Amino acid sequence: MGFLDTEPGKRRLLAVEVPAVERYNADRAPAFRITVARAGGGLVLSYALMPCHNLYRLETRLLSSYPIVPPETRVLTPLKHCPHLLEGQTVCLWRQGSMRAANRWDASQFTCVFAVTAAWRWLLCYEVWHETGEWPLPEAR
Amino acid sequence: MDFRPLAELERRSVITALRGNGDRGVALLMDPKDTRFVGTAEEVPDDQVIAAVKSVPCHY
Repeated sequence: MGFLDTEPGKRRLLAVEVPAVERYNADRAPAFRITVARAGGGLVLSYALMPCHNLYRLETRLLSSYPIVPPETRVLTPLKHCPHLLEGQTVCLWRQGSMRAANRWDASQFTCVFAVTAAWRWLLCYEVWHETGEWPLPEAR
Repeated sequence: MDFRPLAELERRSVITALRGNGDRGVALLMDPKDTRFVGTAEEVPDDQVIAAVKSVPCHY
């Protein structure tokens, strides 16, 4: 059973996630808006980001166990292999697969749009790394 | 993809912004239309927070 099939999950979707996506999309050019589709027991957000001069297509998956399990974000545009990039071009944002206590995703504070902005910051780091070979932020402590 | 690199000044500006964000929580500002990086701000009103990355507790 996915979060879309439970009452708490539906409430979260309608009261938290949908309004956050609507606010994100409000002034956005159409090419940069988030589109949402159902996938199994969860959702897939599709969108484009262009933090500097390069356009990236991404998708963020809210799995059936969301928001307990953090969203997974994948860059669809081919990247050079770099630090903090996992299999399938999934970006390492929340210590995926780690125990809940060590995970940096906080379901009480963050929405799916936070995952989008986190990916945007990751791409800024990638643009710097691409030229310098150095990731501009230190490892998480 | 044909990667278009940052110019030297742009790169310095981005690095300074990212380090300010990581060290002091300076907000990174995203253009609300096309998501370009447009600078930093020390404080961001609540109604604009969706266009700013204040603190991302990421694994890097």
